[in-house]
Amino acid sequence: MSVPAGYYLILAAALFSIGAVGVLIRRSVIVMFMCVELMLNSVNLTLVTFARIQANLDGQVLAFFVIVVAAAEVVVGLALVVNLFRLRASTDADGVGALRA
Amino acid sequence: LALTLWLHTRPRLLGAVLTVVALVATIGIAAWQYQAAANGGMVGTESLLADMVAVDGVALFTRFVVAGAGILTVLLGFAYLQDRRIHRGEYYPLLLFTATGMTLLASAADLLMVFLAVEILSLALYVMTGLARRDMASQEGAFKYLLLGAFSSAFLLYGIALVYGATGTTHIATAGVALSDPGTPAGLVFAGIALMLVGFAFKVALVPFHMWTPDVYQGAPTPVTAFMAAATKVAAFAAFLRVFTGGMEQLAWIWVPAVSVLAAITMLVGAALAVVQDDLKRMLGYSAVAHAGYAAIGLVAVSEIGTGATLFYLLAYAIMSLGAFGILTILERRQRKAIAVADLRGLWQSAPSLAVMFALFLLSLAGIPGTVGFIAKFGIVRAAVDAGLVWLAVVLVISSVIAAYFYIRVIVAMFMDDEPAHLADAPVPPASAASTAVSVAAVGVIALGVLPPAVIDLAERAATFAG
Amino acid sequence: MSVPDLFMLGALVLGGAAALLVVTARNVVHAALYLVVALVAVAAAFLWMGAEFLAWAQVLVYVGAVVVLILFGLMLTRAPIGPMAQHNENRKFAVAVSVGLFALLMTLIVTTVGDATLDVTPVRVADLGEVLYVQWAFPFMVLGFLLTVALIGALVLARREEGEGPLPDEGPDDARD
Repeated sequence: MSVPAGYYLILAAALFSIGAVGVLIRRSVIVMFMCVELMLNSVNLTLVTFARIQANLDGQVLAFFVIVVAAAEVVVGLALVVNLFRLRASTDADGVGALRA
Repeated sequence: LALTLWLHTRPRLLGAVLTVVALVATIGIAAWQYQAAANGGMVGTESLLADMVAVDGVALFTRFVVAGAGILTVLLGFAYLQDRRIHRGEYYPLLLFTATGMTLLASAADLLMVFLAVEILSLALYVMTGLARRDMASQEGAFKYLLLGAFSSAFLLYGIALVYGATGTTHIATAGVALSDPGTPAGLVFAGIALMLVGFAFKVALVPFHMWTPDVYQGAPTPVTAFMAAATKVAAFAAFLRVFTGGMEQLAWIWVPAVSVLAAITMLVGAALAVVQDDLKRMLGYSAVAHAGYAAIGLVAVSEIGTGATLFYLLAYAIMSLGAFGILTILERRQRKAIAVADLRGLWQSAPSLAVMFALFLLSLAGIPGTVGFIAKFGIVRAAVDAGLVWLAVVLVISSVIAAYFYIRVIVAMFMDDEPAHLADAPVPPASAASTAVSVAAVGVIALGVLPPAVIDLAERAATFAG
Repeated sequence: MSVPDLFMLGALVLGGAAALLVVTARNVVHAALYLVVALVAVAAAFLWMGAEFLAWAQVLVYVGAVVVLILFGLMLTRAPIGPMAQHNENRKFAVAVSVGLFALLMTLIVTTVGDATLDVTPVRVADLGEVLYVQWAFPFMVLGFLLTVALIGALVLARREEGEGPLPDEGPDDARD
């Protein structure tokens, strides 16, 4: 009844790469944040899958920690985004001084 | 309590004094731990709290350097922040949070602890970088640092997940052993190490991943930049050392070539880019990238000597960069804007003491004999040659020559040009705290440069990893 | 591969597609909603693997708090709701890098571990709690510390102190807060 682990890992690798593309391509600051969330989610999925394969619970505990850290990161990130907006009324990354400077 | 009563009229001073007291206490405890551990081996190598924290040489050595850097940063920053009106009460707790994150990172014996410590350290630093809420550069730098920090944490985490997948444990020592026995699936081992390497390379700012360094160094308030340049590098390298050199020694054939290539490119590109810079903070930012490359050589020489050389190099770099940024802090207070090389013309006439000290720091950064910079570089070269990486030592020399050029260029601007720029006659005397800090750093540079053996073997003995 | 597994496969493919749409959606709010779909698909995968507590934690914390916070961010910064210029110039290079990354990860991981079948007996929350508070007790406390740091950090960035001058769009020194 159980799906082989490969499918989950494929989805995780896909999410990770899509997240990486998103951060590199998108100009809107907030979409970049979403893409980082995607990448962290793919890490969670990998962790839980491996926890199942290794048959111990450490993976799920790690995933639990990652969710909380991601939330903390978004909090500080959005505080900065709001500040940036109040200083310069637009949130596209290229306007933010050519990220690749 | 007495302090609170005595200083209640000036809250900022209270914050600063408490921070310094806390950091001095940290040094005291770390020293006591050194002694306590000295009964057995030189440095105890047991780890506590269910194998999460390792009390060993690397951890204690980093604790010394981070606490020392913290004290100097508090002294440097006091007047500067007051002037720029960003002297918020929370500056000192944030500084202590960062210091806690760094010491935790250096003593993390578990991969998850490494990730948590990196996050604590980075979050506090993002906020400190973005402290000047009105200055666009500071907000931009903070945001760029946050985005690339989160991006690199995702890579580091994915690497940790794969290592966990391959070995079933995240404890660094056991994972390292498990990774190297042929039973583990090779694919996971390669991918895991590669991704963790990307994560660490971002944190330590090796070249292909150094994009954030110049903007963040330029944007952040100068004392924050000083602390970031000095202490973050020590903590990040301590974790880098522990995971790669300490944990995965048998797998060295996988990651040593990769890291040595990264180190070589970092040294050359870092020095080359620094030459073309005009803004001093940005130049020191690129030179920081080059110095990360130098320290990485000690890491690649997988040996006690190599680790000891890296630790000593990081201590030396911490002192030098704190001194250099300290002088910049004082100069920026007088001039109200970022300092470019041109602004330093004729500093010799107006502020001879500052000019001499700044020249000393720059010479030490360049690695001129007689300063701690030279001793540190010499240790690194010895470790590299000892480990058979002679070509890396050659690249180090080439990069130092390139670097020496732009350090000397600044010194020439200060001394040789006679027509003083308008800055030169600004009457503002440097604050007593800041000048004491800078002079302490200067004494450190000379003292360690002339008679280094005491500290060198301290670093050597500290090069042990918890079991 | 019984019928429920097919549903599961459907959910996984849906999750992947939603993630792709997050990146390519022209409208920022659409991207946020696609993110919700992707996260729920991941939560479904957790459920399917027996990690119930984690699945609901994911739905509650991630989708509930993080995405809502991002939507607040969108609202606060009055991000242009309409479609906006999306892609900056180094698009080709970035796509190539990440497709390469994906291919590398796929081959390395899936070939070695792909076919391991998972035991999907649901994990009792008691076991998870026991492991969390015994073996991982210290990191749990460090996590609390991290949340404090984030809290204070956000406050420092958001709140203005009397010692500071006005922000450009706040006019003369009308200390509003």
